[in-house]
Amino acid sequence: MSLLEPIYPKVLSVRRIPNADPALLRAYGADPERHCALGLVTCDQDDPTYVALDEATKHADVEVVYAKSFYAGSAHASGPLSGEILGVIASSDADEIVEGLKAIVRCLEHDACFYAASDDGKIAVFPHVIASLGHYLSKEAGLQVGDSMAYLVAPPMEHTIALDAALKAADVEAKLILGPPSPTNFGAAYLSGSLDACQAAAMAYAEAVVEVGLQPKRV
Amino acid sequence: MSSLSTTRALVAELRHKLGASAPMAAPERPVTIQPPPARIFPRPQQPPTRFAQAASAHTTALVGIGAVGTRYATDVVLQFQAELAVAHGAVATVLPPEWAEQNGLLPLSSRVTSHREFLLRPDLGRRLDDASSQLLRSRAATDVDVQPILADGLSAVACMGAGPELLRALVAECEGLGLRVGTPVCARFARVWLQDEIGQTTRAKVAVILLGERPGLGTGDGLSAYVVYEPAVGKTDGDRNMISNIHARGMLPADAGRRLARLAQGMIRQGVSGVNLDLSAIPGLDGAGGTALRAPQVRQRLVETP
Repeated sequence: MSLLEPIYPKVLSVRRIPNADPALLRAYGADPERHCALGLVTCDQDDPTYVALDEATKHADVEVVYAKSFYAGSAHASGPLSGEILGVIASSDADEIVEGLKAIVRCLEHDACFYAASDDGKIAVFPHVIASLGHYLSKEAGLQVGDSMAYLVAPPMEHTIALDAALKAADVEAKLILGPPSPTNFGAAYLSGSLDACQAAAMAYAEAVVEVGLQPKRV
Repeated sequence: MSSLSTTRALVAELRHKLGASAPMAAPERPVTIQPPPARIFPRPQQPPTRFAQAASAHTTALVGIGAVGTRYATDVVLQFQAELAVAHGAVATVLPPEWAEQNGLLPLSSRVTSHREFLLRPDLGRRLDDASSQLLRSRAATDVDVQPILADGLSAVACMGAGPELLRALVAECEGLGLRVGTPVCARFARVWLQDEIGQTTRAKVAVILLGERPGLGTGDGLSAYVVYEPAVGKTDGDRNMISNIHARGMLPADAGRRLARLAQGMIRQGVSGVNLDLSAIPGLDGAGGTALRAPQVRQRLVETP
């Protein structure tokens, strides 16, 4: 593993319930009046999956009703199919679910992934830029559909130093700073601004994470 | 390097800046998601039962059409809708007023004045209006053996389609049997019983009316022929003999013309028509009045399905 090599997410399971029980729909945050079908996905990387779920809302008439990271991440998963996140999309049409799931898998394969921020690959960074938000993350971040956003994730120390660097690198606004520990013991932040600003901030973030990894004890 | 991701392109750039030169590793093969089951259910592959096969071989009725789940198969529904449209279209067609003269027929009309009234008032369709009555008296030959009448009935499509051919066949066959045929007339907005008044006016021994029959599924072009001896207003359906389903997929006009001529000849010989007519004594009716099964009709496909 070399520096900033992509760490590709593994889709561990993808399933569909064409006509889910109303009790299940309610339990997972769906509305039985509006939804009947569910699509479920588990993956060994949670943050790329949040991005992929958002991507699905752009490609199909689906709503992200449930998306939660599992405690301590995929290294401590409850089973081989658990990974570190379960994402659930809901729709009134089972075919829309299929299209949504396709978009999720496509995004996880081609777009969203962690990168190795150290040569040995033990530090992971997620400096992801979303050019145009979908219905899910726009709501989570308090932004409009179509806005640009930088979705930044790194381990606690790296995250803190790098977030400061990112905020100073470009004209961006912090919409959410999720201090460590997240359920997976990372730190995360949503930054909004123009697409250029988001890209500059994300790259400054990634560069700073690498720098902290190289010199963890420089005071 | 995938060009689908801005973030990946940016990271690759940053990576180059930080000194790494090798290209990024390609992603692994993605998960393939199976497409959803097709919404069009295939026709069940098992053949219909022999009872359904035997029944459907003798009729164009909707028997032995199978089912997909609890419903008809799509092609059956489409065929039904297409056939219904043919029937609706035939009923809605109006015979143009000038059509009779264009085809060399004496143009008559019933007391009906509009197509809607024609559908709602059968009684008016059974009597000639005054002008037509006058025209018939002045122009038509009288004291004839057979008075041929072509009429629109409930399907002007059929009248304009096979009507002239059937009329020609009837006239030719009657003349071949030595019967004296009257002036061919064409009646507009006509019901069957109009033949009574027309035949009475021309003092014909037998009146034959050829008219478009009530359209059924897929048969908007069917003609019926009604034959009555000594036509007079007041005759009932018990006094008439008829042939139905005269169209390309049923009885052919040439065949029908031959039978009608024999029927008219038989009526004149026996001096009676309707239920009292002895069909078995008339040669050349090919078992009419008997109990033999007629040749099955072939259903016309209106909808192409794979």
